[in-house]
Amino acid sequence: MKKILVADDEMSIRLLYSEELKEEGYEVYLAANGREALEIVDKVPLDLVILDIKMPEMDGIEALRQIKEKQPDLPVLLSTAYGEYRQDFATWASDEYLVKSSDLEDLKAAVKRYLKE
Amino acid sequence: MATERIAFLTQMVEVLTSTISFGERLNNMVHLLARYLKVDLALYFGLDKAKETLILNLSSRGHVPAHMRVEFALGQGLVGEVASARKAKIVKRSQPGVLAANRALEKLHPAFATLAGFPVADDNFLYGVLILVDRQERQLTPAERQNVHLATLMLAGTLRQALLQEEAKKRIAELSVLFEVGKALSVTVDLNELLERVVTTTAKVITARGAALQIIDGNTREVRISSKYGEIPLACPSPGDILANTPPAGDLPHKQGQETNAAGQTHYFLAVPLTFKGQLQGTICVYDKFAAEGQYLPFDPENRQLLYTMAGLIVNAIENALTFKQVESLAARNERMVRNLTVVQVLSRALLTTVQEERLLEIILQGLTLDQGLGFDRGVVFLVDETNQVLQGVKGAQRSAELKDMPLFEALLSPLAGEVKVEEWQVPLRSDQGALAQTVLQKRPYHVREPAQEGGRSPVAPPEFSPPEFFVAPLVAKDRAIGAILVDNQASGRPLEEEPLHVLRMFSTQTGLVVENAHLYSTIEANNRELLLIRERMLESDRLAALSSLASGMAHEIRNPLVSIGGFARRIAKLVDEKSPLRGYVEVIQEEVTRLEKLLREILDFTGENLSFYGDHDLNKLIDDTLLLVQRDLDACQIKVVKELASMPRLHCDDRQVKQVFYNLFQNACQAMPLGGTLAIRSYPVEREDGLYEAVAITDTGGGIPLEVLHNIFNPFFSTKDYGTGLGLAIAQRIVSRHYGQVEVNNELGKGVTFIVSLPVAKYCLVKETGQVAALASTLKAPKGGG
Repeated sequence: MKKILVADDEMSIRLLYSEELKEEGYEVYLAANGREALEIVDKVPLDLVILDIKMPEMDGIEALRQIKEKQPDLPVLLSTAYGEYRQDFATWASDEYLVKSSDLEDLKAAVKRYLKE
Repeated sequence: MATERIAFLTQMVEVLTSTISFGERLNNMVHLLARYLKVDLALYFGLDKAKETLILNLSSRGHVPAHMRVEFALGQGLVGEVASARKAKIVKRSQPGVLAANRALEKLHPAFATLAGFPVADDNFLYGVLILVDRQERQLTPAERQNVHLATLMLAGTLRQALLQEEAKKRIAELSVLFEVGKALSVTVDLNELLERVVTTTAKVITARGAALQIIDGNTREVRISSKYGEIPLACPSPGDILANTPPAGDLPHKQGQETNAAGQTHYFLAVPLTFKGQLQGTICVYDKFAAEGQYLPFDPENRQLLYTMAGLIVNAIENALTFKQVESLAARNERMVRNLTVVQVLSRALLTTVQEERLLEIILQGLTLDQGLGFDRGVVFLVDETNQVLQGVKGAQRSAELKDMPLFEALLSPLAGEVKVEEWQVPLRSDQGALAQTVLQKRPYHVREPAQEGGRSPVAPPEFSPPEFFVAPLVAKDRAIGAILVDNQASGRPLEEEPLHVLRMFSTQTGLVVENAHLYSTIEANNRELLLIRERMLESDRLAALSSLASGMAHEIRNPLVSIGGFARRIAKLVDEKSPLRGYVEVIQEEVTRLEKLLREILDFTGENLSFYGDHDLNKLIDDTLLLVQRDLDACQIKVVKELASMPRLHCDDRQVKQVFYNLFQNACQAMPLGGTLAIRSYPVEREDGLYEAVAITDTGGGIPLEVLHNIFNPFFSTKDYGTGLGLAIAQRIVSRHYGQVEVNNELGKGVTFIVSLPVAKYCLVKETGQVAALASTLKAPKGGG
């Protein structure tokens, strides 16, 4: 079973994403900020990471940089309410930049694409 | 005998000392003598010195009629012999030769037998001869002889007295004439009046029918002054003619003569020279001395003397008048110069009161046309239009009496009373365009006296503006002619005077700089206005930016909860049975969330979240692509689309954004025509001052935008519709201005609206290659259908 980490400071989003991804048959790990996300990345052999950008303690951009340093091959998707971070060079390290939508089909399609399913 | 003799002498002395006239005295004396000597006749022959003859003047029988005035030459007859010898002589008719020699006396006394002649003389002069005639041969006693001698002495004394008195009378008359002449000539210094007086007085004093005066320039022989009075039957001899006519020794230079015309009428003239200091020479000539009606006399030496004396007076008077005239004209010129310089000084002061070009031109024109200024009938100011290389009429004015009582300074600053329209007066700046163009090209003034010839080559003025004579001066600033001033006196037809033109020459150089400064000032002012406008626009965009950041902040805050609500609604929908009423509720939630999310995207698009991707795109293709997106809406409203797309080069732009612009505008058009209509789309290249543009005009037939909302249509969040964000046009404008383009609105109430989007080509291309720009430019300039 593929392991996916979802990092988002909004509890409702974490819940929605984990429910949807579990339903798709993935094992879902959750983190409320970048620091928690990195701890899980260190402990668990993950297949994919979904990062929010605006988070307390450590934001998604910093978390993305550290994850790509440790595991360059681990696909990281940015899922954010902000379109404008697309212009931030730091976000270019991500594999996909997605603007959050209540319709999760785009997100799920991207996950499937990176997990080569 | 002795008593008779004493009685005779007493009577003679009484006559001699009486107060009766000389003529009467002489008559009485001759009569007394004849009576005393008891002779038939006593005659007195007076000597005419000039003719050297002796003429019978007096007779003891009384008045001598003209036909009886017998004449003897000196030495002829007894009369001539006595005069020549100055010695008394008595002859008898019987003596040989006596009758022959004295035959003329037979007329007076046919039977004379004795003739006794006595000279009438004093110590110095012989006045004439006394002849006693008797029918008997007789002798005179010594006493009688003595008495006759005494009588001749008395006659001589009386004659001498008479001559002296005559002479004195003449002198007095002459002096009083000269006095009158002098008085007449000294009352005026006005040359014209003086000349008139000279000829009039001369003619009257000489009692001539006419008089002429002529003064020539000794060098050029040109007649400088001439004046006439009365009848001038003959030409006035020139001073040269007179001087060439050598006078008899001791006489003064003159010319005198007579001519008989075809009608047999003889005219006389007398001319003397007028000798001036310097090069002037003159003649005064009198014609035809009055005699009786229709008869004229030649002039005598006395006339000549008098005319000569008068000539001296005339010369003095004319010289005085000429000097006075010269002094007067110098003084007048001086006064005009001072006045004109004052005008320039006041004008300069007035020009310092403003830096506005318009006001400056008004002040200049006032200065040119005011009576208290330079007083031209009309003035026009031209300025050079560098771009079109023409001299453009800017402002004109004509003389008006309205301000003539106002002090110059105030009048200069008053509004123009008589403005003249000159805006249509343009002169190309080419050397074949007459004086106006030349004055600018050569930077020098022109005084055109024959504009007809000038205009023949190329018209200098519109037909309604045809000066008889005009003057143009360049307006020069920093060695560059920036315009010209034209003046004329068309209205009054007066010639242009030299002095105001001279002042205008001085004035135009000074004015050029002032006008140039005003021009610079107005440019600076215009730039300032533009800066203010830009600042306002920047403030506007600051406000928009603030609004953007607020909107963007809110949008993000809303997006997360929306995603959760929408996401879970979808999950619920999956769990709820299709037949459950809950299903409908959940779907409402989903739809509402979708709508909100769409709104969010619009807002975030407006606030610039979306990245732009620039590339070279065909504007017409973008129009077609966008039309596909709205095809369903167009069909639904039965809107007919009419396209007229010019083929144009590719445009550097963000295709998604530009499509968004068209999409918003098409949507607007659809909403404006819910019951159908026509959507016209036209694309075309536009060449503007700052470069090349591609424009798209989108016209609907939706009746236009109501005036009360027209000014609001580009405001974000303004909408007349019940749905939508109201951001459509605001977004379109944002995108277009990000592309350095413009959106214009042509609103035709009752018909429809045209939105014209124009996007620049060059701004982006410049970043690339200049060669490409040139190619683009030539493509765009090529005739339609060529690109």
